[in-house]
Amino acid sequence: MNLITALARLLIFPGLLFAVPAAWFFLWVERKTVALMQGRVGPPFMQPFFDFVKLTAKSTPPRSGIAGALMRSWPLIALASAAGAVGLLPVLPSSGGFEGDLILLLALLEMPSMCIIAAGFSSRSIFGEIGSAREAALSVSYNIVFLLAIVSIAASQHTFRLEALAALPASPLRLLGIVAIIVCLPAKLHINPFSLPNAEQEIYAGPMTEYAGPELAMWELSHGLEWVAATGLVATLLAPHFGAWWLAALVFVALSFAIVLLLSAVAAATARLAIDTSVRFYWQCTLIFAVLAISSALFMRYRL
Amino acid sequence: MKLWRQLVCLARRRSPWLFHMNAGSCNGCDIELVAALSPRYDAEQLGVRLEGSPRHADIICITGPVTKNAVGAIHTVYGQVCGPKAVVAIGSCPATTNVFIDSRTIDGPLEKHIPVDVFVPGCPPRPDAIIQGVAKAAAILAERGLNPPKATVAIAATVAEEQP
Amino acid sequence: MKILSMLWKNLIRGPRTLLFPARPPVTERFRGLVQFDPSLCTGCAVCRFRCTSRAIEFKAGKGEFTWSYNPGQCTFCGRCVEGCAEHALKDGHLEHALSQAEDTPPIYLVQGELKKSYTVARRPPAARPAATAPAQPAATSKPSPTTSGGAQ
Repeated sequence: MNLITALARLLIFPGLLFAVPAAWFFLWVERKTVALMQGRVGPPFMQPFFDFVKLTAKSTPPRSGIAGALMRSWPLIALASAAGAVGLLPVLPSSGGFEGDLILLLALLEMPSMCIIAAGFSSRSIFGEIGSAREAALSVSYNIVFLLAIVSIAASQHTFRLEALAALPASPLRLLGIVAIIVCLPAKLHINPFSLPNAEQEIYAGPMTEYAGPELAMWELSHGLEWVAATGLVATLLAPHFGAWWLAALVFVALSFAIVLLLSAVAAATARLAIDTSVRFYWQCTLIFAVLAISSALFMRYRL
Repeated sequence: MKLWRQLVCLARRRSPWLFHMNAGSCNGCDIELVAALSPRYDAEQLGVRLEGSPRHADIICITGPVTKNAVGAIHTVYGQVCGPKAVVAIGSCPATTNVFIDSRTIDGPLEKHIPVDVFVPGCPPRPDAIIQGVAKAAAILAERGLNPPKATVAIAATVAEEQP
Repeated sequence: MKILSMLWKNLIRGPRTLLFPARPPVTERFRGLVQFDPSLCTGCAVCRFRCTSRAIEFKAGKGEFTWSYNPGQCTFCGRCVEGCAEHALKDGHLEHALSQAEDTPPIYLVQGELKKSYTVARRPPAARPAATAPAQPAATSKPSPTTSGGAQ
């Protein structure tokens, strides 16, 4: 993958030019679907865009010293890694990649959670610390299932290249892995039933309590980009292989939209689980999925 | 740029984020405020979000006559709200201390401590009146961005005011 | 699984929200702003006595009195309206000066903006209606116009 292709993927499609409006659109879809399912009219269409503009025009509290500089940098790091994760998605056929870019994608997808945890601790507020501790516990639990599922899909085909993974035909093992990934998505995206780090009634705003203004705008935008990247990953794994680039792009957007609708329906139908129940859910119920997937992947690999 | 300033003012009117604070209220107005977020009245159609932290909010909704214990908390929370802000006094208690007038535990109407922009009378006010009050406060915020006031209400010069 | 059918029904039926400027109708027993009719007021100041939050102020002058009402101070309990009605009934009148509107008070921007004051000239009491005449004992004399100050 040469520099031009990399820049085009990072900046145009599926990079920033596409991903930022898509992030706002997906955030709106989630809020609107949850509202319609609860019997109310939701926010108007441009709402996430207006939220973003309003937040960039607010003032921030003064921050001093190393802790202040750290606090200002965490949202930037989260935004950059989420944007990078979106840029790595293998949407268009033959758009180039490199050996091992799956590992880079997983690392970049993980960075926003790490930044939230670090931000809660560096804000020196007790609500931030509690929120970060909860986020850390949740992250440890769902990541096991998430990574095992993806690695099983990759290991069964002897490849860590995203492009090769996207071009593979469907198989029961792949579907099992995709289902396991979808089960992990509510925890990754902090929506019900695993929205514990954002629990307003209990810990004010959790890790984000001390953030304001443009920093908060960047957190919201990185959250939206996380939506695009996570649903996009599942969409690229699900989508059948097309030759025409415009067909592939269209199917990618449509599949991502369908997954967003599915996740919003789950969010509207469930209540927030407490931390012990969430951790127990991922360790007891879904771990079976992931163990099944990886053992069948290894089995298939050594049998072939 | 003028276009950016107009966009920012439009965004401030369309995206009011609330923080709710109880300064000794009987909770009647608090219940009506939460009822304003329920499906029948649905404040979210105006973009209203009830935020968990005062740093995230633009509009502070205060209920209750200001008890002596609450005065310090009100000053702290008002100082923590960033950028252009507006205050809505919900119910007749913050406006005039209502039935608690002359009580020894009450420290005056809310205007004695922080500048109030919109008063929503009622005991308790109906949720649709509260939503009207919040919409009016959002419109005031938008106007305030266009013509910054000379008063001490704007604590720090906002980014929008610094832009040409 | 009932929750899923509930969500589906909500989606199909559509939202039940009142879109923004629309307001729901109030019921008949709703207690709104207190309305004052100067032509019927006799200046007894029972309403000021019964008011729970000192929203009603009454100042007696020579030949006139000033009645003022601050909706911002009011708690909409309705005691003033009840007191006015009882007092009027005791005097044999069917009409009384205070009534309660069936509407919500409006929002305002400046403190004290909604306060209303009326200055009413005292007048000789209205003639008792003939139908209630039998209940009049001879001891009750017509009160003279310049006395009967209301301040209690």
